[in-house]
Amino acid sequence: MSVYAINKLCRDALHDLAFREALKRDPAAAIASRDLTADERKALLEGDVVRLYEWGCHPFLLAYLTRWDLFGLTQPIYNKRIRTAHDARDE
Amino acid sequence: MAEIVAAFGVPHAPAFPALVAREGPNCETARLYAEVAEHVAAAAPDVLIVFTDDHFNTFFLDNFPTFAIGIAETTAGPNDQTPMPHYQVAVPGALAAHIRATALEQGFDIALVQDFDVDHAVMVPLHFLTPKMQVPVLPIFVNALAPPLPTARRCYALGEAVRAAMESWPKPLRVAVIGSGSFSLEIGGPRVPPGDRAAGFPDPEWTNQVQVLLSQARVDDLLDAATFARMQRAGNIGGELLNWIAMLGMIGARKPRAMLPHAGHGHAFGVWRWN
Repeated sequence: MSVYAINKLCRDALHDLAFREALKRDPAAAIASRDLTADERKALLEGDVVRLYEWGCHPFLLAYLTRWDLFGLTQPIYNKRIRTAHDARDE
Repeated sequence: MAEIVAAFGVPHAPAFPALVAREGPNCETARLYAEVAEHVAAAAPDVLIVFTDDHFNTFFLDNFPTFAIGIAETTAGPNDQTPMPHYQVAVPGALAAHIRATALEQGFDIALVQDFDVDHAVMVPLHFLTPKMQVPVLPIFVNALAPPLPTARRCYALGEAVRAAMESWPKPLRVAVIGSGSFSLEIGGPRVPPGDRAAGFPDPEWTNQVQVLLSQARVDDLLDAATFARMQRAGNIGGELLNWIAMLGMIGARKPRAMLPHAGHGHAFGVWRWN
């Protein structure tokens, strides 16, 4: 489990243009060298922002992925999914 | 002695510069910033202190300060690809160093950052308030995004410590202070609205309550109400209220000259002037 690595990946998508272009071209190849577990890799490639959020990834950083529809995450798809995530603030 | 001559609270949504460029100077957002800008010009500050929260751009989670102060000769930004002009602006480095030293003596161990640029939270307000970048800007960073956050009372005390530093500054200087941020704002979390909007404003009741407390100068009530849990219920970016609270610490319990709501948003525009 490396929430930090996923947060960093999101930040790099904003700040590292070459990495962003690689993510658009071939997401699996672009994240191949990242220090992620198989589950994390799968969740990212499926755009499963609910799991990523519930693992503790930062929502502000996850939201970057929608700017370029990375991992299939258009804004409406992202919003539809994240709205079903467990919200600890409701407890 | 440096004199605190005015204080301002404004939002910093990264969409605003492009929105105003598109919709023109008569749109509501443009008019709200313009009204605050008139007060900034009338207060004629020599320096602007900006309480701001970095959105993982100047800093990242490898090293994320609770409080930090920029001590440099210049800074630039935005450094986060916000669609707006890129600016350079002078930083009053000696004053910043004085604030840091004074605050340390009072128990505030503020992190030092000497080589930095700033994100939209500083540059969006400046773009509207001092677009010629003629007034040097001193950023003080408050962690509003990476919980656990500093408490409201701690942030207020930070503002008081900065005020104390103003009193021991050896030269005359007119200082204005800006608190930058929202009261109710959700980005990327479960409280975003359905559809294609990136941001949600999930707690209009809190947005209104904060404006009432600010308008009535009920600082103690605000500090009691602004718990971490309460701010988070208003959105995962709700901690930005801490920037306004630190700003209040610099001026004490004063009633604002203007508190302007922004329809449909989770923030307001505030102006404090007293002479």
